[in-house]
Amino acid sequence: MIPKEAEKLLKKVQKPARYTGGELNSVIKDKDKVKIRYAFCFPDSYEIGMSHLGMKILYSLVNSREDAWCERVFAPWEDMESLMRENGVKLYALESGDSLSEFDIIGFTMQYELSYTNVLNMLDLGGVPVLKSERTSLTPLVIAGGPCVCNPEPITDFVDIFLPGEGEEVTNELIDLLKEHKEKGSSRIQFLREAAKIEGVYVPEFYNVTYNDDGTLKSVENFETAPARVKKRIVSDLNKAFYPENFVVPFIDVVQDRTVGEVFRGCIRGCRFCQAGFIYRPIREKTPETINRQCRAISDSTGYDEISLCSLSTSDYTEIGRLIPMLFEWALKEKINVALPSLRVDNFSDELMEELKKVRRSSLTFAPEAGTQRLRDAINKNVTEEEVMRTASKAFEGGWSAVKLYFMMGLPTETMEDISGIAKLAQKVVDLYYENPRRQKGKSVTVSVSCASFVPKPFTPFQWEPQDTAEMLEEKQKHLLSSVKSRKISISYHQSDTSLLEGVLARGDRRLGKVIYKAWQKGCKFDSWDEFFDFSKWREAFSECSLSPAFYANRRREYDELLPWDHMDYGIRKEFLIDEDIKARSSLTTPHCRVKCSACGANKLNGGKCDARK
Amino acid sequence: MQGNNGWTDVRMFYTKTGNAKYISHLDTVRCITRALKRAAIPVWFTQGFNPHAFLTFAMPLSLGYESLCETVDFRLVEEMDFQLAADSLNKALPNGFEVKRISKPVFAASDIRNAQYQITFENYTEELCQKARSVISLDEITVEKKVKQGKKKAVRSVNIRKHIKEYSVSEKNKALVIKTTLSAGTKNNINPSLLIEALVKGTGFEVTDADVKKIQTYTENSEIFR
Repeated sequence: MIPKEAEKLLKKVQKPARYTGGELNSVIKDKDKVKIRYAFCFPDSYEIGMSHLGMKILYSLVNSREDAWCERVFAPWEDMESLMRENGVKLYALESGDSLSEFDIIGFTMQYELSYTNVLNMLDLGGVPVLKSERTSLTPLVIAGGPCVCNPEPITDFVDIFLPGEGEEVTNELIDLLKEHKEKGSSRIQFLREAAKIEGVYVPEFYNVTYNDDGTLKSVENFETAPARVKKRIVSDLNKAFYPENFVVPFIDVVQDRTVGEVFRGCIRGCRFCQAGFIYRPIREKTPETINRQCRAISDSTGYDEISLCSLSTSDYTEIGRLIPMLFEWALKEKINVALPSLRVDNFSDELMEELKKVRRSSLTFAPEAGTQRLRDAINKNVTEEEVMRTASKAFEGGWSAVKLYFMMGLPTETMEDISGIAKLAQKVVDLYYENPRRQKGKSVTVSVSCASFVPKPFTPFQWEPQDTAEMLEEKQKHLLSSVKSRKISISYHQSDTSLLEGVLARGDRRLGKVIYKAWQKGCKFDSWDEFFDFSKWREAFSECSLSPAFYANRRREYDELLPWDHMDYGIRKEFLIDEDIKARSSLTTPHCRVKCSACGANKLNGGKCDARK
Repeated sequence: MQGNNGWTDVRMFYTKTGNAKYISHLDTVRCITRALKRAAIPVWFTQGFNPHAFLTFAMPLSLGYESLCETVDFRLVEEMDFQLAADSLNKALPNGFEVKRISKPVFAASDIRNAQYQITFENYTEELCQKARSVISLDEITVEKKVKQGKKKAVRSVNIRKHIKEYSVSEKNKALVIKTTLSAGTKNNINPSLLIEALVKGTGFEVTDADVKKIQTYTENSEIFR
């Protein structure tokens, strides 16, 4: 039950059902009968957070234990936050209505760098000291996981423990340990000493960091019980891993509001710009039987009328041909739609096309990522123009007339020719439509080009590369706009300041903690939302800390420079990344993992096993 | 099974109370659709390009209001015991929703003429009570009503006097409670917020925290809508 004082505010806010809890399948327990209370925090709005699969998995996993209760907490929207602050209402969890400060574990999932300020804001709103140094008791313990913690350094001032990698096993181990130490009455430091011994647990205060005069890292030294390098955790066999049988069903419309079947983890592609393509390795597939059973259970318990399959590059799933008919067999009868996102152009088979036609027809999305073959080769996006054309042609015959093309701008080795190449490729798709005699008559084609700004990320071959400055990106955006000649093509792109900040935080070091703290104090929050993002405040914060965003974003790093995330072990060998970066400069491609193993090293995390080569 | 003759029209009567009042009408529609699916109720689906469960709500309920008399109509394509259906729906619905019964509809949704509401203002005082009584008994109660003129939205002054069919003002648990029957339905629907607005303006009190609960809906002959 949510607090009475909070309920009084609900009539004055937009979408009050964000703050009420009580959704179907939400878990209510007796707080006196559990030993550990876990607040799972998503540092963004309810609608975004409730769409996140990782939260659903860990929520059910923790709640399947009798001795623990996991609840959900989201960042309140501006209207609610100001009412809460005015009326002294602390940020509460949706299940019990208790404020964050009453929990044993406060766990954040860090999905994107621009949510960092929300972490601070949520802790503060929940009555928990924002700075780790001001939290002296054993609990609440602030922990964080998710892809961003592959470089956790910028937020080490605020978080006690990071859990790099997959959380299914280590979460339970950490809860067990905390339960034991709570009973023993241990101090915070006693607990942290033991926690650091668990594989995949990073306790940042057990590492001393020093810097060179030029601002680069000099050394990172572990002490106490901490290992020199923290190895990310993975689940070895996804068929045996925990997967929820039901999802909390939100009342309001959220971004992902459907049954999600996770099909595999990892990615065989090795696109050089893509962090997800490296940090989730090695490949581990589920069997179609497992996926089918899991989808069925969730659909039954939620009443959802749509299933989506989730993974990177889903069409690379080796058993997709067996899985789709298996799902269709019952889903169609129950009027459940099966959606297949994240498809790669080169994998679009005739059969898949036929299956896709059976369900609702939306627009078709391709991600060529770059405008010319040379640049596509450089980033190892192994898709040719011919393949894009062939698939688009097939799609037009199948009745599609809206195509979305995703590109990136600011990629390493990029020239203006590559930028005009984007417009040219889009134009070719338009022309192709009108040349196709079997297109749907009387309908016009729309090609929507969405152009993201490339941000170099840790654990990718481009982790040493300089990011384009905002000025360079703006010039490229202008060039792209002037290269488009057809009204059938629409162009959209990101704000360049947002990408700059994202890049700074992604490859930043510990000194950025002060900048984040100051930016938050100046009112920065929801930085990933255009309506909130205020780069002038960030600039002030940087200059007050005598740090320059350009040092982190726009500088080329040497291969022998000590990187802030070098003490994190994601299985990927540095030599492999260096090779890939060198190959990019001469536009040399690397075949995907199923064609040839490139010995990235990630299979060592799973005893040498990798499903790319089964 | 499905077809023009193969279904039974049924009406489900349910209450929406507690925090469920914060669920909007559209979200309620989705919530009930999913509950029907979870409870495996054999409902008729529209036959179009995008099939969906065919549901008809008699009167959408405003966000923030509780109700003891909500109804939704749907079609059963297989025979099913009404009590059994109600029981399984109650297991499938989230807290705040409760199915009271399922039966064959007697009236059409367009037969609804009036609805009874209970409006509760916190912090009762004798003075507030007196003022509320005098406002609600005025011959002319003019409020600004939002209306649609074609596609445009406009505001019109309306005297809602004749649409207030019955009322009583009393004190209950230190709160001011107004029970009133207002015109409702497809024509002349008077949202209780209009009356609340008139009361707030007329009494000069700052009462933003009015709780509204819909108690009952009636047809032209003052029969309970069923």
